[in-house]
Amino acid sequence: MAATRSKSLRKMWGRATPYLLILPVVIYYAIFWVRPVIVVIIGSFTDASGVFTLQNFVMVFNDENFWPALSNTAIIVLFSVTIEFIGALFLALLINRKFFGSSIFLFLTLIPMALPAVATGAMWITGLTAHGWINSLLYYLGILAEGEKIYWLGGLEPNPAKLLALVIIIDAWQVIPSMMIILLAGLQNLPKAAKEAGYVFGGNFMIVLRKITMPMLRPTIQTAVILRLISAIQIWLIIVLLLGFGRLPILVERIVYYHEEVPGLNISYQMAAGYTIVVSAIVSLAALVYLRVSGAFKKQETA
Amino acid sequence: MNSKVNKKIIKAAKDTIFYLFLTTLIAGMLLPVYFIVSLSFLSTREAYRYPLPLVPALKTDLELAYGENGYMLSVWDRTDKEYQTVLDTSEVEKMEVYIKSRLGTKITQEEIRAEIARLENSGQESIFFTKPRNLLFNYDTFFKVTRDAVPALIRSIGIAALTILISLSIGGLAGYAFARYIFKGKDALRFSVLFVRMFPGVAIALPMVFILAKANLYDEPLGLSLIYSVGAIGLTIWITASIFMGIPKSLEEAAQVFGGSKLQAFMRVTLPLALPGLAASAMYTFLGAWNETVAAIILTQFKPTFSVVVYQTLLGAQGQINLAAAGGIAMALPALFFTFFLRKYINQMWGGVTV
Repeated sequence: MAATRSKSLRKMWGRATPYLLILPVVIYYAIFWVRPVIVVIIGSFTDASGVFTLQNFVMVFNDENFWPALSNTAIIVLFSVTIEFIGALFLALLINRKFFGSSIFLFLTLIPMALPAVATGAMWITGLTAHGWINSLLYYLGILAEGEKIYWLGGLEPNPAKLLALVIIIDAWQVIPSMMIILLAGLQNLPKAAKEAGYVFGGNFMIVLRKITMPMLRPTIQTAVILRLISAIQIWLIIVLLLGFGRLPILVERIVYYHEEVPGLNISYQMAAGYTIVVSAIVSLAALVYLRVSGAFKKQETA
Repeated sequence: MNSKVNKKIIKAAKDTIFYLFLTTLIAGMLLPVYFIVSLSFLSTREAYRYPLPLVPALKTDLELAYGENGYMLSVWDRTDKEYQTVLDTSEVEKMEVYIKSRLGTKITQEEIRAEIARLENSGQESIFFTKPRNLLFNYDTFFKVTRDAVPALIRSIGIAALTILISLSIGGLAGYAFARYIFKGKDALRFSVLFVRMFPGVAIALPMVFILAKANLYDEPLGLSLIYSVGAIGLTIWITASIFMGIPKSLEEAAQVFGGSKLQAFMRVTLPLALPGLAASAMYTFLGAWNETVAAIILTQFKPTFSVVVYQTLLGAQGQINLAAAGGIAMALPALFFTFFLRKYINQMWGGVTV
């Protein structure tokens, strides 16, 4: 009798173990994530005196910078995720060949990822000014004549396309390594036999890549792309470091703008909260759409 | 015989092209890094020349002559390839300060007096002399001039260590649960980890100002660690789950067969095997906390982190880009150090990670 009771107790204990293990995370998220999120959500639906209103969202959608910010963000996300994925996959395939010195090569390619945002900012600011190192280098290479300068960040008329291209290139430079290491880990964990079989049956590099490696790598690709997609929507610091506020409006940049730059206005907090909710909705929507399209949900249903 | 030699030649040619390609690729990728490093060693005078010198100078060539107000000091300009007059004064102290701070060059007042005496004794119109550069001048100045740099550095290390402690203990437990158990709500938790990352970090920082202020943690390192841990826990769960999945469950079961309890089996068998991977995960967390700037700007006032100090130097340093560069490099060094060790564990860390 006593033995069966202790057995059933033990069973219960065994069943509870995973829940006990995840309990700290749940509590932590409740205090430090759910609570501030609720505060923002409430803030976005109330006016300065705490009365329920939808006025904040009306203000956000009527903000003259909202639609440019939305389209700029969309362009950055579209291009940067595409370029970064291709670049990261290329590097990962290269390093996965395990040539002599590949370990050092790996470290060197990881350097941009390790650099702090402020260091990267310093690097590109000093490069992109008219008398910066990029123009100097072009001059030494004979591409720029003496006295000739390219105004990367300025120029007389604002040119959003040029600025967007710069931001996308800089972001790609910094982010490709972190995407690459996820893909590389995925590649290294693939069974070698499948690839070898592909070659044995007469496939060349491209065919093996397309028909064997890529399909097997799919879960890893989904992880890498979803993480990148989420953070690409949230790019802003490098833009503010390079251009200051307002020259190239971005959704997250607007949040910081209303919080940090114009905190005196009585609509600042409402605007910041409104923008926060809009951005969060967009990020979640984009992530869900991607997961559905790429078939990540299907995989979990069958698993 | 001949074809063997041919094959060897072809292989050597292929290898050469391959490594040339790699070198070009790396050079292109690291070019910006080279320039920021080079800039951090340039003297203030040279940092504002156009075109910028490609390499920092190791010595400074100076010319001393008679001037209207005493002595005329000229310096060799590497851009214009000529001596350019920078000072006309009789005060030795002024010369010393200029040479030290604007030219980043080692010199003492005695040495200047000696050169003046040499000029007067020589009977010539001007004399030339060369002094070694003080290459670490910008770094030295960054830490001396930026009033908060050293305490901020210590604070940043403390914050990163605390973040590792919180996220590894809380996230590691959940990661273990993910790797070893099947339980209800596993998918829900997996998704919420992803969802936490979807919400802009900046957005959390805003309400956190009020919440931390209420708890007396605003502008405190502990407050920042608590915020950083929110993001770090998610990554730690993913990474540690991947690590524990890589350690066969049968090893733990074997330990239990030999009479160990579940906890003992974990402590004696799984944990030692997972240790390198866990250390790598901790380094990853360190990088995140060390490099973070945005929340730190919002949530600190009088106790900034090191990244905030560099950020402020950068914004306020219209006249001192070489100082900002030195600060940026000083910040990047620990991050690079850890990345060097991290590269071996990429497979362990990210191998089993799926959304």
